[in-house]
Amino acid sequence: MPHAAAMADTHLLKKDHLKGFLRKLAKEYRLVAPVRNRHGDVLFTVIDDLDSVEIELVEPPQNSLKQFFLPQQERLYTYTIGSEGYDFRQARTTIPPTVYFGVHPCDLSALLYMDVVFSRQQRDPFYLQRRQGSVLIGINCNAPSPNCFCNATGSGPFLEMGSDLQLTDLGDRFLVEIGRAPGHALVKRWEGFFSPSTDKERAAHYQTFLEARGRFSRQVHVEQAIRQLEAGTVPDEVFAELSLRCQDCGGCAYICPTCTCFTISDQQLDADSGQRLRSWDACTFAGFTGMAGGHNPVQAKTEAIRQRFTHKLRDDVRLNGRPSCVGCGRCVGICFGGTDIVRFVERACQGSL
Amino acid sequence: MPQTITDIYLPRQAQVEQIVVENSQISTFVLALRDSQSNDAFRYQPGQFMMVSMPHCGEAPISISSAPTRPGAIHLSVRKAGKLTNAMHKLKVGDTIGLRGPYGRPFPIRQLTERNLLFVAGGIGLAPLRSVINTCLDQQDQFGTITVLYGSRTPSDIAFQNDLGLWQKQGVDCRLTVDAAEPGWNGAVGLVTSLMDDLTTEPSQSTALICGPPLMFRAVLGRLSTIGFADEHILTTMERHMKCGVGICRHCHMDGKLACVDGPVFSLAELRKLEIMELDDFCTTK
Repeated sequence: MPHAAAMADTHLLKKDHLKGFLRKLAKEYRLVAPVRNRHGDVLFTVIDDLDSVEIELVEPPQNSLKQFFLPQQERLYTYTIGSEGYDFRQARTTIPPTVYFGVHPCDLSALLYMDVVFSRQQRDPFYLQRRQGSVLIGINCNAPSPNCFCNATGSGPFLEMGSDLQLTDLGDRFLVEIGRAPGHALVKRWEGFFSPSTDKERAAHYQTFLEARGRFSRQVHVEQAIRQLEAGTVPDEVFAELSLRCQDCGGCAYICPTCTCFTISDQQLDADSGQRLRSWDACTFAGFTGMAGGHNPVQAKTEAIRQRFTHKLRDDVRLNGRPSCVGCGRCVGICFGGTDIVRFVERACQGSL
Repeated sequence: MPQTITDIYLPRQAQVEQIVVENSQISTFVLALRDSQSNDAFRYQPGQFMMVSMPHCGEAPISISSAPTRPGAIHLSVRKAGKLTNAMHKLKVGDTIGLRGPYGRPFPIRQLTERNLLFVAGGIGLAPLRSVINTCLDQQDQFGTITVLYGSRTPSDIAFQNDLGLWQKQGVDCRLTVDAAEPGWNGAVGLVTSLMDDLTTEPSQSTALICGPPLMFRAVLGRLSTIGFADEHILTTMERHMKCGVGICRHCHMDGKLACVDGPVFSLAELRKLEIMELDDFCTTK
């Protein structure tokens, strides 16, 4: 239950002081925040000059934080074939300590999920190196967007844990809840920007949460779809119908903050050298499961999208106790085939067709 | 979070020490890690696989076909199937490849002690079972009878002939069949299941280990069930496309399980809970 009182340590940050605080942060950290660009689009962006950008904290950014931790394509190694044999060299770049500011609850939840993916079975050095030294400053969502349904996935509109600092817009000021230790250190270090919060602000925070919760325009019955998948009562026809509609573009997976499937491939540079690349992949692609020689254990025509939804809404619930769809609604906006996760949930809940 | 994290994707160099041509499509590559200390320390279990790197070809998962009871060399028996395996078939002794691993859940050797072992394989499917067979033969007193049923397309496609000969000498009941005979072939012709007609092994004291193409797999499962083999005592190893080998990239998904970390070895009891192509048209108890 998101209630400021649950967080022992809360402060106030006047909006007039925000830029000053960020300016301090930017001196010691790389700063990433949702920025409205000159085309009017909001994107998480590395900010070089705070005075020349417009940080947007209400409209959700089009991208998530995924690309900062799992780049669309990254070089894992360079390799050479020569007198040293067949030699791989790590191609890691140094990632500066970064503050991710203005992260919505959906994207925060997604990052916490990625942490699990990249450290559960094996610790992924490339992901964890980017994740080390990252500071997360979240912003609760007072006004969910039309495609949002984080209320149905347990990942918003307010979060009470996961970030280092969690902000709630209270008009002319932010209520600042301290999450993890690095957040505490930031407030202590620059305490001049903060003032103590009172019961009045904590009450306003709760009121804001209640209002935000009432502002969702979509009712997406995620829980019901999860139960249907677990019971195996989603008709095969539903998967077949949506698979036929899927245009195999991979857009849903690329835009999704929790789609972390990747491929690894070699790119030859010359006869004796090349580089090994890791790139985003999508389980909906026909080639995702195809094996050498042409055999494919997944029937693309009728099964292409089954893995996408059963993984997010059944397998990850079994594993983590919660779905790995965070209700950000990005796939709803990007899918032109009509096979987004909301469409699936609706179809699954209709039962037999 | 710690500052140094083991680089799980970094291949190690391995040198080709010997190449055994098994047939026109399959060769066994005898490999040793170039770092001799690593090679001495290398441990694995039957049923595990390696991620193999070939220059400009990326990586592919390949079952280890040698037995951990014979340390010092890693055997990979490889059929020409795609770009990487075709490149492997151009390797010469002394060449270097990249290896990561071993990965995956192995065959439960301890659970096989005292039991009669029935191995059923088709084509390259004998590769991962070869690791189990040699492991068991190296401690033969701990196991019951060993039977190997092996199906090939034609007599000239019969791979692992050295092994089959050695096994026979060690008391293994090896039975071969081919899909299509050639002049001079006096053996069985037909599905590998036809070799099961006069099996005398008592199902309640036996474990079957199967590896082969899906069609063969389904036929063998059907026959084993009829004979009375329990699902828990039917073991197999699954083939899937893989990129990471360590449970992250998800290319090897199998209805909620991942072949790379939950398998590749599964019992039929485990597989029956999954909706997978290999068991299509075969009764699942989901």
